[in-house]
Amino acid sequence: MNNNVVSAVFDLFVNNNISCLRFNFRAVGRSTGSHSSGRGELSDVKACVDFLINKKKIDQIFICGYSYGAAIGCSMVEYSPKIIGYAAISFPWDFMGKKYKKLSNSKKPKLFVQGDRDNVANYGRFMDHYASYNVPKEYRIVKGADHFWWGLESLAAEEVYRFYESLMNT
Amino acid sequence: MVRKENLFIENNEIKLEAEYYESSSKKDIAIIICHPHPQFLGV
Repeated sequence: MNNNVVSAVFDLFVNNNISCLRFNFRAVGRSTGSHSSGRGELSDVKACVDFLINKKKIDQIFICGYSYGAAIGCSMVEYSPKIIGYAAISFPWDFMGKKYKKLSNSKKPKLFVQGDRDNVANYGRFMDHYASYNVPKEYRIVKGADHFWWGLESLAAEEVYRFYESLMNT
Repeated sequence: MVRKENLFIENNEIKLEAEYYESSSKKDIAIIICHPHPQFLGV
């Protein structure tokens, strides 16, 4: 959860006084358990949603995920009516398979942030994947950004925050 | 009261390491951030 992109998003929301939760999936950092090829990690996101609703009495939740975290986190968008939408940074469709595209293809608002030098979440196939999603949807292409976003992570975070603000103002 | 806390979220028998910042004003909405694959990118 201390990845450069995750930290950039977390810090930006915190600096704007928005409640924010970042966590480590199972078997990462001090989280217990073992990797489970996505299935268990999906339930980890559910546990976080339940925590915010039941323990913190949160009424609206916005999900942001980066890379693998985009595929997993955004796939839980329909888990609760309290989830209002998501932002996916560098969604690795070609690595993750069709399951996650199907699960994340919600009719809730969604933003895709993509670097034009990304050859992991392949920029060349981005528009094909994006086109298959239901509206409402938006995308942002960040010039010069590859999959790792080093030095440009703040640009990805700013796009996520602007999208979040646009949802709050509608 | 503004606060940032380190905590563990329980998922059945698994405990998930987390950091939560609670807004001092907008208490009804929160963001969840999910990280990349640990074997592929640093987390």
